[in-house]
Amino acid sequence: MIELDQKIAEQLSEVGLNSSIQVRCGTSNSFTVTASVIHPLVNVFEMGGVYISASRGANEIIEGLESLGIPTGNIQFLDMVSSGILGGTNTEHNNISYIDSPIMLESALLRTMYQMRRTLSERSFVILDSVNALAIYNEERMLAEYLHTFVNTFRQREVLSVIINVPDQTPPGVLANLDLYCTDLIDRGQIVIN
Amino acid sequence: MNHMESAAGYVRDRCVTGIHGLDEILRGGIPYGSTVLAAGSCGCGKTTLGLEFLVRGAENGEACAHFTATEPSVKLLDNVRQYDFFDMQMVDKGLINVFDMDVLYSWLGLTKATFDLGDIHALIKAITDIVNTIGVTRLVIDSVTTLCYKIQSEQLIRDFLFTLGKKLSTLGCTTLLISEITSEKSGVNMWSSFGVEEAISDGIIVLGDVERMGHLLRFLQVVKMRGTSHSRAKYAVELTSIGVMLTPMLKWGSSS
Amino acid sequence: MDVNTKFVISAEDEKFFGKMGSFGIPKFDKIMNGGVPRGFTILALTDPGAGAELFAKQFLSPCEEPENTVYISTNETSDEIMQVYDKYNWLNELQIISIGSEYNERVLGKELQASKYRLEGFNMSDIQRLSQTRFVDDETEDFLTEMANSIIERGPFFRCAIENLDFFFQRYEKSRVISMLRMMQAHTQMAKGILLLCVSTDSLDTSIEQEMSSIADMVLTFGVHMIGSEFETRMIVRKFRNAPENLSVMSYRVTPEEGITPETVQRIA
Repeated sequence: MIELDQKIAEQLSEVGLNSSIQVRCGTSNSFTVTASVIHPLVNVFEMGGVYISASRGANEIIEGLESLGIPTGNIQFLDMVSSGILGGTNTEHNNISYIDSPIMLESALLRTMYQMRRTLSERSFVILDSVNALAIYNEERMLAEYLHTFVNTFRQREVLSVIINVPDQTPPGVLANLDLYCTDLIDRGQIVIN
Repeated sequence: MNHMESAAGYVRDRCVTGIHGLDEILRGGIPYGSTVLAAGSCGCGKTTLGLEFLVRGAENGEACAHFTATEPSVKLLDNVRQYDFFDMQMVDKGLINVFDMDVLYSWLGLTKATFDLGDIHALIKAITDIVNTIGVTRLVIDSVTTLCYKIQSEQLIRDFLFTLGKKLSTLGCTTLLISEITSEKSGVNMWSSFGVEEAISDGIIVLGDVERMGHLLRFLQVVKMRGTSHSRAKYAVELTSIGVMLTPMLKWGSSS
Repeated sequence: MDVNTKFVISAEDEKFFGKMGSFGIPKFDKIMNGGVPRGFTILALTDPGAGAELFAKQFLSPCEEPENTVYISTNETSDEIMQVYDKYNWLNELQIISIGSEYNERVLGKELQASKYRLEGFNMSDIQRLSQTRFVDDETEDFLTEMANSIIERGPFFRCAIENLDFFFQRYEKSRVISMLRMMQAHTQMAKGILLLCVSTDSLDTSIEQEMSSIADMVLTFGVHMIGSEFETRMIVRKFRNAPENLSVMSYRVTPEEGITPETVQRIA
């Protein structure tokens, strides 16, 4: 049984809409941390938004979140993974759209902006899951440039941006950039094993 | 504030395109009365760009005209219905007037395979008549390449484009000429099929594809625009149901 | 376009129509040993003004079945044709197709309209109509197909004259015209009809003339010759399939009572 981290909710209550939050997690707790971020945004602050997934298929994420009682109806998913899998785009969910590849970074940005214009929500968020997944496909310099653009674009539009990464697996240059440009940090990156 | 405006103290009137990102690139919009070449290879979004240009004008109550030479208007209107930004009412109410070039040729008795000087003047007169009578302020010809295939010589093409551009400008009409180019072209006259279009035009907007690790990404780039400064960067393009969307292309991410 | 190959010709019709039909000129029927065999295609090559257009009308005057008798004209109106029939008191219940009039209306009319648009420009209502017109109006300006269809649709024992083919040679590919003529000849043969095709000699080149002559079962030429200070109109039967004895040269007159009448000259030894 997954237990959501309530302290993340407390931290989120103190950030503004133009914040960009770096969420660090470990390899074994990434989903729990992600769900702990989404839960207050959706259930407490009643926000809608866009979830860009480069780490796993959107179907899996939706099922995981729904099983924890986190409704996903107000979240638009941009799935950068499933197009690369034969049959991966067969889905019943109508809030998933697909991007051909994790290298099409600009597409992800534009499609996020498109979804936001369509849904016209006053308070929105965008979640980028994750930097590590994108690093598999994209050069470090390009990824750093992209994240810089990403953070600034949504900050300007007063959209809360949440960037998930596993610091042990993030290229140092990218990690340094994230530290520099993000306004807030939620750090669950180290797991203590007793 | 762009350099040209501040130097002269004069702000040239703009045709605000309404296309996401494009007016910023052009520092406010296309200078009024300009003839702009929208050049690109197939599938790059030229027709969509042209249609959105007209729709945004129609939303402001401007009279707009689309001359289609490449595909029949029936097919064009069928295809464009998928876009949320397009409303058929604009066509029904005469805000967007769609003309088939084939029908226009037939009405003018232009039935030969190639046009001579007299035919060209008849065509220019017809187009300018339409613009003048309806009060068209935004015009798209899609594509000028298909039209120019019927003109015999480079000189005649030059005359045609120059005369048409001049007359439309006098009538206060901002024109987008869709031009089809092959992606392999490079060097001199990269954006003209007939070697002349880019020299005559006031502006050139290029649409194309860049390859990134085997995938094709659409881009847009403003190469030239008389009467204004503009960004010359490459922008990634997404053709969405609400229109064209642009964002700067990542510098490190393309092989061309 | 399918040539109708399925005819039901009743014995009664066979008996009524017989193996031969009249040319509409009794004297000529006699010279031709009875008339024109059913199923024949006749080619009339004519000098301009030599009388072939009158021959074509007279040819239809027997009018055995009015609804199956068709005069196709490319340069006369229905009224002008009827006037000739009335003048000579010929049966005038036949069908007339005036392609010339249709051509003037459709094609020339369009050309005139195009000139007007080019000169005067478009007004608001023209522009509104133009913006709502999605297709080029090409409602068959293919008069050649229309002409061929009007023959090929005919039932057994039809009688038809086309005056003349110059119109089609001037506007369509010659090979296409010949192709249509072959189809029409085949249908005429099978339906036991009689078809007369008129064409001016000055509009044809030799190879086309030869090709048409080979398609036709009978070839007639109409000519005007100067004899001293007078004109003589002459008719020559150059070809008559399976009856070479019918080949002949004859001069003819046009009289108010009979129309075209061959003059037979008897040698007095």
